[in-house]
Amino acid sequence: MIYTKKSPALLIIGMLMLVWGFLNNSGGVDGMQSWLQQSAYSDHMKTKEKFDAELRVATEMAVAESKPAPVMKMPASKFDHAKTEQANLSYIIGGFFAALGLLILVWTPQEGDFDYYLSIVPGMAFIVGIACLVRWGLDPVFANWGKAAQPALGWNFATIFNLNYVVLGIVIGILTVNVFSIPGWAANGVRTARFFLKTGVILLGALYSAAELAQLGALSVVLIGIFVLGSVGLVLYMGRRMDAGNSMTGILSAGVGVCGVSAAVAAAPVVQAKAVEIAYTIGTILVWGVGCMFLFPTVGHLLGMGPVQFGAWAGTGILNSAQVAGAALAFDPHGIETLKVAEIFNITRVLFLPIIVVWLAAWYVKHEVGAEKVNLKQVLVAKFPVFVLGFIGMFALSSMGAFSPAGHYQGKYFSSSEIKEDKLLKPKETRLLEGELAKMQNPAETAALKDLIANRKLTSRDQDGLLLSAGKIAGLDPLAKAVLDKANKAAWHNSKTIGAFRNWLAWLFSIGLIGLGMQITGKALKQAGGKPLIIGGIVGTLKAVGSLIVVLLFVREFV
Amino acid sequence: MLTSSALLLCHHGTEGAALAETLAYEIAVPGRTSIVHCLIVPELWAGMQGDDWLNNASTRDAFAHYVEQLLEKDAKRALAAVEARCAGRGLAYKAVVRFGDPAECAVAIAAEEKTDLAVIGPPRPKDMLGLRSRMDLDRLAYGLNCPLLIAARQ
Repeated sequence: MIYTKKSPALLIIGMLMLVWGFLNNSGGVDGMQSWLQQSAYSDHMKTKEKFDAELRVATEMAVAESKPAPVMKMPASKFDHAKTEQANLSYIIGGFFAALGLLILVWTPQEGDFDYYLSIVPGMAFIVGIACLVRWGLDPVFANWGKAAQPALGWNFATIFNLNYVVLGIVIGILTVNVFSIPGWAANGVRTARFFLKTGVILLGALYSAAELAQLGALSVVLIGIFVLGSVGLVLYMGRRMDAGNSMTGILSAGVGVCGVSAAVAAAPVVQAKAVEIAYTIGTILVWGVGCMFLFPTVGHLLGMGPVQFGAWAGTGILNSAQVAGAALAFDPHGIETLKVAEIFNITRVLFLPIIVVWLAAWYVKHEVGAEKVNLKQVLVAKFPVFVLGFIGMFALSSMGAFSPAGHYQGKYFSSSEIKEDKLLKPKETRLLEGELAKMQNPAETAALKDLIANRKLTSRDQDGLLLSAGKIAGLDPLAKAVLDKANKAAWHNSKTIGAFRNWLAWLFSIGLIGLGMQITGKALKQAGGKPLIIGGIVGTLKAVGSLIVVLLFVREFV
Repeated sequence: MLTSSALLLCHHGTEGAALAETLAYEIAVPGRTSIVHCLIVPELWAGMQGDDWLNNASTRDAFAHYVEQLLEKDAKRALAAVEARCAGRGLAYKAVVRFGDPAECAVAIAAEEKTDLAVIGPPRPKDMLGLRSRMDLDRLAYGLNCPLLIAARQ
């Protein structure tokens, strides 16, 4: 079978990206970019004004001393960096796509691996193209509109509804598949979205400290243990009480209890689910997953949750693991702290999966007359998520200092007395923070802020976690937020490699989530119904609300 | 009296389809009418291939294989049952299985097989459980180039 479809689409996408790269490089879209990236452009204008003033003074001095006018180069601003990044990415990726697009047009495909792998590229280009459009275009457009409408509305609709690149990408993915349908030349490639997501999770492994991983891991095992086992048990109980059938109850308990569609897929053959039961279960889980993905971040913001609390809640309460990453990034699109927490919970869930499948297999054999026995050892091995090994591998490499300087994760300036003066807070910054003390939400945050004011630096990991949360308090002076951010950066001082990882992670998850959106079909969502919807609805709600209460009561906003 | 030499019977094993089948037998004349059994696997299954991101390849393949087997088994059971009943009545029988939108496939099969009558079951009552994959009657009525008969609900 020939997979590669003759189409100029890949070449067109590649050429468009090359043109965009050229326009950015030549300054041809500076006007548009200055509107899109208003904050970076404002920084650029300040840098330019400062540079012009320095050049003028230097030139006047040179003239006074009868020397030739000095040649000075303006330092690159954030705006310049953003444009350069867009240009470079467009050149590299666009060039790659254009070359392969040309090959598709001139090459006569023959059956084989090359044909298969080549057939994937147009679909990948399709989602990468959408990701670029969303990240470089729609995300800043909605952010600007949100700010522009704020005086009239009294609130920022883009922030409240999380209209950032994550949510917009997923929505575009859903619209693409349900309204326009995925073009034939892209069908093969959009399914590679999971590759981007898994790569993102593996890469994420490099960003944890041993202490973080240990604390988050322990927290996730406790929370997931309670809520996974609890919801699996509750579905099994309700299913039998409501006479939903053993196979239906089995598949639903895996889906609702563990990690959604992944678990339902893993459990279906084991509990010998019927076709209509699979459809009901997947439909129910998708409806809940998608609903929660849009609802959770808004609730999280309204409740003033921090990254740890929200990540723990999303990682526990959202039925479908695929939507956990989406919700975490939608909540905190420009940082990855929430994603880091949520993904630990996701990984814990998926590690629970083989155990739950074995449990269900045993349960099914016990309750269903004539059920075939399954090889439990084989199930455990087959369901093991291999990509978790990649995550662990990256964590190990990172801990050994492969990507960042030694001591990077220790929070260098927490307790060290050897700290440069320029890293300490300035007196006017501490005075600014003093004015914000009354806005702290609890005594712990007040104490943490007082300590920062006294020491002009963070002195503990706990304090850092508390002030990260405090930085999200509504009504806090933006300048004070910037000071808190500065104190955090002084303690953590990211390496360039880690910074690049963070940037790539955002891209990987962005691309993966767009592809994921393209797998959410209205036809599948419509299948939600019957007893699975009732049972799934009750247990899903209990899980979401119960985990929210537990997280708010017991999870502290730091690790 | 309504007669047909090539009758398109849309039947995928549901209660409504059984009503369509009964109606088709009332019209069909042994030795003269050929039943074209149109069985459509709805395209909603394309969105249920276990393509979720967390699964490894073996789990995904096992699930896809399992679903395919289930659908194949269901289809074979439905085809064999109708074929046996047609044979019992002395009616010529031909099965056509498609994957896609039910109305679109039925229209295409009717055109390909040059059927002169199409018989379908009544829409499933809203409170009755089953896959949400309804025959789009508008699309079917506009697309068919032969009369369409809908069995009455009982």
